[in-house]
Amino acid sequence: MDDIKVNQNPKLGSMDRPNSYIGRSLPRENAKKHLEGGGQFVDDLVLPRMLHVAFLRSPFAHAEIKSINVEEAKTSPGVFDVYTSKEIDEFCTPWVGTLGHLGEMRSPEQTPLAKKIARWQGEPIAVVIANNRAQAEDALELIEVDWEEKDAQVDMETALDDNAVVIHPELDSNLFWTRTVNQGDVNQAFETSHAVVETKLDFARHTGVTLESRGIVADWNKSEGKITIYHNGQAPHMMQHIIAKHLEVNEGLVRIVSRDVGGSFGIKVHVYPDEMAVAAISKKLGRPVKFIADRLESFTTDIHARCHKISGKLGVDKEGKILAMEINDLSGIGPFSMYPRTSAIETNQVLNLSGAPYVIPNYKAVGTVVFQNKTPMCQYRAVGHPIAVAITEALVDKAANKIGISLSEIRKKNFIPDTAYPNKTPSGVPLEDLSHQASMDKLLTMMNIQEIEKEKIANLDKNVLSGYGVISMCEVTNPSPLFYGVGGAHISSQDGASIRLEGSGAIHLSSSITEQGQGTEAIMKQIAADQLGVSMDSVRVTLGDTDATPYGGGTWASRGAGIGGEAVLKAARTLKDNILDIAAAIMQTDKNSLDVENNTVIRKNGGEGITLQQLAETVYYRGHELPKGTNPELLATASFLIEGIPFVFTNSAMGCKVSIDQDTGIIKIDKFWAVEDCGTQINPKLVEEQIRGGVIQGIGGALFEECVYDDQGNMQNATMADYLVPMAYEMPDIIVDHVTTNSGRSIIGAKGAGEAGTGGAPAVIMNAVNNALKHHGTEVLSQPITPEKILKALRKI
Amino acid sequence: MKAPDFSYFEAQNIQDAIKYKSEDDEAVILAGGQSLLPALNMRLSSPSCLIDISKINNLNEIKIEGDFINIGALATHSDVMNNDLINEKLPCLVDILKMVAHAAIRNKGTHGGSIAYGDPAAELPAFAVAMDAEIVLSGLSGQRIVNAKDFYRGLFETDLKSDEILIAIRYPFLSHNQHLIFDEVCRRHGDYAMAGLMARVELDKSKINNLDLVYFATGDKPNIAQNTAKLVIDDRYDYEKLKKSLASEIDFAGDLNSSSEMKLHLATILINKILNKLER
Repeated sequence: MDDIKVNQNPKLGSMDRPNSYIGRSLPRENAKKHLEGGGQFVDDLVLPRMLHVAFLRSPFAHAEIKSINVEEAKTSPGVFDVYTSKEIDEFCTPWVGTLGHLGEMRSPEQTPLAKKIARWQGEPIAVVIANNRAQAEDALELIEVDWEEKDAQVDMETALDDNAVVIHPELDSNLFWTRTVNQGDVNQAFETSHAVVETKLDFARHTGVTLESRGIVADWNKSEGKITIYHNGQAPHMMQHIIAKHLEVNEGLVRIVSRDVGGSFGIKVHVYPDEMAVAAISKKLGRPVKFIADRLESFTTDIHARCHKISGKLGVDKEGKILAMEINDLSGIGPFSMYPRTSAIETNQVLNLSGAPYVIPNYKAVGTVVFQNKTPMCQYRAVGHPIAVAITEALVDKAANKIGISLSEIRKKNFIPDTAYPNKTPSGVPLEDLSHQASMDKLLTMMNIQEIEKEKIANLDKNVLSGYGVISMCEVTNPSPLFYGVGGAHISSQDGASIRLEGSGAIHLSSSITEQGQGTEAIMKQIAADQLGVSMDSVRVTLGDTDATPYGGGTWASRGAGIGGEAVLKAARTLKDNILDIAAAIMQTDKNSLDVENNTVIRKNGGEGITLQQLAETVYYRGHELPKGTNPELLATASFLIEGIPFVFTNSAMGCKVSIDQDTGIIKIDKFWAVEDCGTQINPKLVEEQIRGGVIQGIGGALFEECVYDDQGNMQNATMADYLVPMAYEMPDIIVDHVTTNSGRSIIGAKGAGEAGTGGAPAVIMNAVNNALKHHGTEVLSQPITPEKILKALRKI
Repeated sequence: MKAPDFSYFEAQNIQDAIKYKSEDDEAVILAGGQSLLPALNMRLSSPSCLIDISKINNLNEIKIEGDFINIGALATHSDVMNNDLINEKLPCLVDILKMVAHAAIRNKGTHGGSIAYGDPAAELPAFAVAMDAEIVLSGLSGQRIVNAKDFYRGLFETDLKSDEILIAIRYPFLSHNQHLIFDEVCRRHGDYAMAGLMARVELDKSKINNLDLVYFATGDKPNIAQNTAKLVIDDRYDYEKLKKSLASEIDFAGDLNSSSEMKLHLATILINKILNKLER
């Protein structure tokens, strides 16, 4: 399967030519490097005179620091110094996690170390700087803090009550943000509906669990006035701005280097107080400083996600046509809105995306986001999608059951037709180039629901309950400036690529898109080699270095291929054009009679060509041989951004079949099917890896993952033994197929593919489970769906 | 997550290790380290010294001694699973070990370590109790043997004295009409169970003559359900009756993945699973 041909896009030329790499499942080179241990992660970096830090973190969810004594800790072996907010604040200004484009947001100033009050268990309050991490941790035990524990506002449902603990007294309540969307008249439409169904779903907090934990090495060079930050983030240029702004350094003298990054999932695209403290310490001391979060710190300080309670209502006519949908979502984000993207986006996406595949003439959505004394919550893979898709698809299933039509029929009746794009979501967000009908048809062919129904009935007298589900969804990808930039955030929606032909004939490509393990490097290489007409192994790629790559947004929101890839394509085409101009001059022929194949400029009509190496050598070393006035430019740079619409959407249809052991409550996913329409697939194998990996993370949210808190706001399961992520044994067969509708926004036609699995799997699994439980007249409406919840629903315990 | 300072002593023989341990109350034995090292790194434990016994010769031997199979304390779970004698004489142990964590952990974790640590959620302590195994301890005053059911006293509390080291576990052979059947219910493969059961069954033709039920992941230690076992012999499987009996003889302690109510339910269900396996 390493050379399958797919989804030919006419704008990209024939696939039956040499070096046609776009659309092929080529192996990615950097996988070998990682397997052989040749990667360079932040923790691999050792710099001369480097110091290490460990943070003292609040053991309480809400407590006042009456006094703090660090004197004994300072005398501990190997300790260089111990700082509290007093020392750090001199070198780092506070930040506020609000943006201007989504209505009023209220979040207080945040500093690297808590000043007087700690507001979540894990918030850093002091830092030990030592020769190594172990010595720093030894000294942590010697810091004396006189804590006065305060009541904690843990439960988001009571956060706005009159007797709630107001976490920030300067704000009059725990309200961070609220938004209402109102299209049409839902009340009137419900009144005229033939049937109205309702449900209420509950999503636990979970987190990203990257294989490589967060890490940073900050290196302030006093003589140059320059700070270099080695950081395993996703958005180097965003960090460049943040560091410059808050450390008060000239932005041009901030260099962010993100080499190999071991997974991110949106966890590593935010500003973390401990990382800002490390940058401040380096500036204060003029020495390199390293911080690598350990797993315990990851669980209590990496952003969490989800944490929603949502109710929904759907009205349909006699035939099952949807007349109205109404949702009301509550979410708790911890004590601060994260900086700079804010913690409003997940709820905003829930409001934007609910009902997105369907024609819903009347739609109302209310979102409320509150503060609480838990780890801050923010955007994680498939932001808001699992909630939006689950509430929509649960309601659609309920409506189908109520009026007695099949799960596929009700969807087909309500899809925005594939021929009716451009169109809009029920909330009013523009949609284009989608294929819900074709994708669902393909899914149903793959699944063979008749067979599944038969098996389900055959199992009825056994101890195992069978069920299945199907869902459709839209995935937000390739955001435009209307996502963050419009709100005042210095987050680039544009990405750049720069390609040069070197003297050896090698091609060097640099891009502002970053790689965290998903294969960015590989697809950039494929695009460049394909468009230039060179072999894959002649292209070298540089990513993740603000001193060496074009300016741009980085990798998040499934934007790498669609935005960054288009920039590479444009740059490669320009470079090829320049190459042909020079070749035409050297070969004294018409440019249009030439092409580049296999690293050689060929004459289309036959005859001897010249290699790119020969061409480059002529330009670089023997330029006097070129005709006067020849443009010697063998470097091309291009940029791309999405204009005019907020996002390029991808769509997916997913199905799954589950078995539930009625005695133990254990759910087994027997099989999972996904049909994705992400437009042009640059590397189908990598697309399918994204979908499968996304589905696995969705299975995590649906069945396993939960940050468990006690009533006082203490996280109970902050280890990999207790926080359950799906492992190989829990992964079902995931059958992936595609429908291809190219995006009209770019030549390459690629839409994003990174998040649909995570966004859709929780919905389809929950629907399948409830399809199975329906036989017993019961359901589970809370994720993760644990064995205990199943047994309670079945009244076994 | 870095361990606090400790000193390290690499014991060349068991006498050295015992001597060192008897002189230092705060010292702990390091064998495979699969429970100890995470505890150290999370600073849940700060021993003065790690006495590394992993280099001691012959402490990983698996051999027949009279009516017993003797498993040396240092035999790793992988050693045991791949051992011919075990596969021939005690094949049920191989199947049980497949449920113990994951391959990488089984390559380091030792049989003696798991038995000595006495995690109430672990499979091996319950297995040893169900098998009526003998635990061989060596201390300043020489060797002594403790029956597994007397060895476990409470939560992570065993009969091991401060100068003693567990050196072997001796499992009696099962006769042709005796079977050790086990099952467990986990959220994920390789996790500690929500509840698990080791049952030693003695059959007279198809009738159960004798039955020992030993639960794990249910309470503070391997929990023996003697009365419930009698009920099973008399009435076979009656969910309500057995559940009531189990509730009266085991103090079920809930955890993050299963409440005490859930554990009681699963403990009852597990009897049915065992009986079904017996019929097969």
